Amino acid sequence: MALTLNDLRTDALREIGNIGLGGAVTALSDLTGVLFTLEAPQVLPIDASTLPSLCCVAPESLAVGTVSRVNGDWAGEAAFLFPWESACVLWQILVQMSPSGLDALNELYQSVVNEVSNIMLGNYLRAISQMTGFTLQMEPPVFAADMAMALLSSIVVEALYEQRELLAVETAFKTAEHEFRGYFLYLPETGNLEKLFSVLGI
Amino acid sequence: MAEVKLAGMGEIVFARGAGVLGCIGLGSCVGTLLFNPRSHMAALAHVMLPEAHEHDAFTMPGKYATTAVPALLRTLDTPPASASHLKAILIGGGELFQNRSQALRIGERNVSTLRRLLSELRISIVFENTHGSTGRSFEFDLETGLVRVRAVGATPVEKDLSAALGILRKAA
Repeated sequence: MALTLNDLRTDALREIGNIGLGGAVTALSDLTGVLFTLEAPQVLPIDASTLPSLCCVAPESLAVGTVSRVNGDWAGEAAFLFPWESACVLWQILVQMSPSGLDALNELYQSVVNEVSNIMLGNYLRAISQMTGFTLQMEPPVFAADMAMALLSSIVVEALYEQRELLAVETAFKTAEHEFRGYFLYLPETGNLEKLFSVLGI
Repeated sequence: MAEVKLAGMGEIVFARGAGVLGCIGLGSCVGTLLFNPRSHMAALAHVMLPEAHEHDAFTMPGKYATTAVPALLRTLDTPPASASHLKAILIGGGELFQNRSQALRIGERNVSTLRRLLSELRISIVFENTHGSTGRSFEFDLETGLVRVRAVGATPVEKDLSAALGILRKAA
């Protein structure tokens, strides 16, 4: 059963994605000295059929991801996903080296991705909190590197366990200077959506 | 190999006589395959969660361990009372994001629930590649009884289950 939202509410979620991740991407640009830009966010109900269309990465390709729990008025799970090649771009920019493969993925590389997630998510939540007055706290990110589809399904399944219906606000970001794509997913607890819409007056 | 019939999340696929069944990108999900040596049929569910939510257990029985196992039996036309000749394969149930604060351990619970349900029906598990912290894809070929499991950064695991499944392999 798919969650149904009218156009206005879908637009509102998309706009929140835009404003939130706008702040996050500016923070990433400041951190790296490289200009990152956003693509238009998509809002989609999550079920078995929509999952493969989330984050345009080949299902079995190697990817790197983090998940952070967000508590407060708009609680949910926030996840970042980077195709391996894109993660290598981030590592090259931030620590001037990148692992030769999965075996060489040590704690340093993991902490770089965790830090990027932290900074971006912190800015995302700050932007949403300024707009809504919500109080939001994030927990530290948890890192994994594996098949893209296995990462995505693990993220989504944990969220599905707690709720019947699931919605994702997905935003892709990129840079013209490198072959890079990053994906941000926010899986809000659907019970909190009404709270958000009432604050926004829709 | 023939074209693979893939079970997407929560789906059930089946084949009779010949064909290849599989799942791609299993994280905490478990590919649960039952094989009926008498009819040479196999059915595969891509199980996502251990216990059913009421609202979609009927529309998507493959999604939950507790509804997937009975649905697989129905697909194979096997009543529970005579299920003991079926053979099972379990693949997946990894915890990719270790130390997650909520620690739901869905993968582990999927596997333990499936094991319990299969053991209640006296169905033996002839091949299992579960737990750990990696994602997996796999294929099972009905004609040859070969199962092949892939994980990133590791050599694929391949096992000939024809003897365990009572499959007579055609002479080459």
